[in-house]
Amino acid sequence: MNQFLLNQGASQELDGFGHIREIGIRKNTSVQLNSLCSTTTDNIRIYYILDGKFEWFIHDRSHILYPGDLAIILPGQSFGGSRGFVDIGTFCWISIEVKHADNSRRMVLGDWSGLSESDSVTISKILQLNNIVVLSKVKEAFIILQAIKDELFQREIGYTTRVNHLIDELLIFIARQSGRQTNLRRDFPEMFTKMEEALRQNLGHQWTVEEMAALIGLGTTAFSEKVKVFTGFSPLNYLINIRISEAIKLLKKPEINVTEIALETGFYSSQHFSTTFKKLTGYTPMEFRKKK
Amino acid sequence: MECVITIELGTNAVRVFAFDLNGNVVASAKGSYPTFHIQPDYSEQDPEQIFITMLYVLKNLITENLQPQRYAVQSICFIASMHSVLAIDKQGAPLGNVITWADNRGKREADELKDSDLGKVLYHATGTPIHPMSPLVKIAWLKNNDKDRFAHTSKFLSIKSYILQQLTGEYVIDHSLASATGLLNIHTVQWESKALEFAGIHSGQLPELMPVFGNPGKLRKEYQKSLGLGANTRVMVGSSDGCMATLGAGVWREDKAVVTIEDSGAVRIVGNHVLRDDRRRFFNYLLAENYYVSGGPTNNGGVVFEWFARQFGDFRVPFDTEQIMENLIHEASRVRAGSNGLLFLPYLLGERAPIWNANARGSYFGLNIKHERQHFIRATIEGILYEVYSIGKILQEHRTINSLSINGSFATIPFCAQLMADIFNKPINMVKNLNSASRGAFLLSAIDMGIYPDFEKAAGSTDYQHTIMPREEDHATYNRYFQIFERLSVKLKDEFEELAALQHGAQ
Repeated sequence: MNQFLLNQGASQELDGFGHIREIGIRKNTSVQLNSLCSTTTDNIRIYYILDGKFEWFIHDRSHILYPGDLAIILPGQSFGGSRGFVDIGTFCWISIEVKHADNSRRMVLGDWSGLSESDSVTISKILQLNNIVVLSKVKEAFIILQAIKDELFQREIGYTTRVNHLIDELLIFIARQSGRQTNLRRDFPEMFTKMEEALRQNLGHQWTVEEMAALIGLGTTAFSEKVKVFTGFSPLNYLINIRISEAIKLLKKPEINVTEIALETGFYSSQHFSTTFKKLTGYTPMEFRKKK
Repeated sequence: MECVITIELGTNAVRVFAFDLNGNVVASAKGSYPTFHIQPDYSEQDPEQIFITMLYVLKNLITENLQPQRYAVQSICFIASMHSVLAIDKQGAPLGNVITWADNRGKREADELKDSDLGKVLYHATGTPIHPMSPLVKIAWLKNNDKDRFAHTSKFLSIKSYILQQLTGEYVIDHSLASATGLLNIHTVQWESKALEFAGIHSGQLPELMPVFGNPGKLRKEYQKSLGLGANTRVMVGSSDGCMATLGAGVWREDKAVVTIEDSGAVRIVGNHVLRDDRRRFFNYLLAENYYVSGGPTNNGGVVFEWFARQFGDFRVPFDTEQIMENLIHEASRVRAGSNGLLFLPYLLGERAPIWNANARGSYFGLNIKHERQHFIRATIEGILYEVYSIGKILQEHRTINSLSINGSFATIPFCAQLMADIFNKPINMVKNLNSASRGAFLLSAIDMGIYPDFEKAAGSTDYQHTIMPREEDHATYNRYFQIFERLSVKLKDEFEELAALQHGAQ
């Protein structure tokens, strides 16, 4: 595998791809102290190992990577060599700029990306929630990286579109794979418990079935079937159970008003809350609050 | 047409059944709720989510199944898992989550009480083994370790008492569920003052006692309306899941026992007197006047086999645990009884009956160079069943058992059922309706409605699908290995203790 490095600002191959900060393959044959100190950037950094063994410290945890492994470092996460240097071996990487990233797990890629807004939000959320920085045995990712490189160098007709498509494809691949690998060898109940925790931690969010399914690494159809068999409810009805249960707890505290409770537990409005609550319990939230 | 609804508030899910008056299932539905383990040894559930889930499932069952078929609901009978504790304040609002039977935070309180003179007195008075599962111990734990919650608690309820209060406004508990709290004197059927004193509470802090046929009151108007039920729908306080699984399996004669194995398991018998065991290995729960369900529980049932499947099963098909377990059982059936001398102690979760040792741990014993993967699979299943047999064996010191009924997802796997017949050397009756607890609750309602004159006639109505006969030759093999299994279980006590301490430190 030949080494190469394209650098934004220095390499003309990247003209017109302002969002690609760097792409390259590096073969490291000797240890140089302080060659890989921990850094935090606003970019998405993806590393794929081709040869050797790398000890890295990513997002406050140390990882050992072998050939076929991939590391993804999200904006704001730290990354560096565990011992401050680049280990001996070969790896390929790409660094992609995001237009905007905030604390609420939302990442906006930029106009170059063909991902719909909701897909892009889902993917960024999944990557954050699964909190998986290393994927193993993902040769497919390297094939995509190689294709990006070839397109950049060969500049055949349509290459601008292809490069951007391939970056989207890489991100989709990583998001899907992160769900699958989190759940490798684990059974559904255990995964479900984990997903449920995520729902509770962010109950005010308008969860979609796609987002819930992606947390488990399943498609929505298979996910909905599994949830129905396991819980007796569709995913959204199960979510309503959690919302109403939390709302009941808050209703028993006199200091919080009903509108606040509605929003905090994920209903669009106090009207929506009131209708759903009455349908299920026979009481309006206000009546429920007064009863003994 | 008339029907009866039963509601089982189980460990992981609520199961609602509707039966016609002949005992046929007309409709059923379930809804699951999560268990939270916020610390090691803690096991809690959200009482509001249990309530909402129950309401949701019940409502769907009525509107989607019963109303279209024009069934009129005569009564609703409630059963629930034993040993749950929920503290509520003066306004009736829960103080924290409900603490489930599986919660072990009261280990120290239990250990101290168990070996004291008071512990012996309380065991014989209440019928409940002194163990962290017992509400007596849990309340004592709250008193010592969660003083703020304890001080603000107006009542300590079972989850069923809370649900019934939501529906009817009354705080009640039935005799059988109360007899599993460690707070009820099963001889006088009153709260036991020495137990209350130990827990630091008075009887006014507990729900009102009533027989299993008792009626806490009408459904609140709002629920009558939202559920579409008439004001005359009878609400029956009902019983515990363990007692009802026994009745529902048709066990009401002194020479029968029922083996239940789900995640955990139990062997139970029914009789009209308490089993007095000086080594305090059994529970004695009160079902009705002069009727006691006695037996022993195990922690290590299907949950252990599931653990094995997760570690060593073939997971090429993701998420299909059932298929994986089926394949494993098929492999196990290819080696002979006794797994060529490989023994397995299944105590992954510590053990209750008969050894009552929370520090017990699992072990494969007797490996030789010829043992293969299939032997491990088979030994795992045999170990789980030897443990169940060890409970049945000590029960037979008190009572003659001539046949068994079985229920629960693990026990009813045909391979396991045959193994049990062989190990116990008794015929096993397969019950037609596999959900014995709900069927028990139906029988309770049917007795109440006068359809059956008494428990015995009601239990006798149970249909058996078929009977599995023991195989002499295999029994002889199992019996030889069981002798070693039984000795190992107690012989390793010191090593278990030392190892458990090391494991605890390593966490």
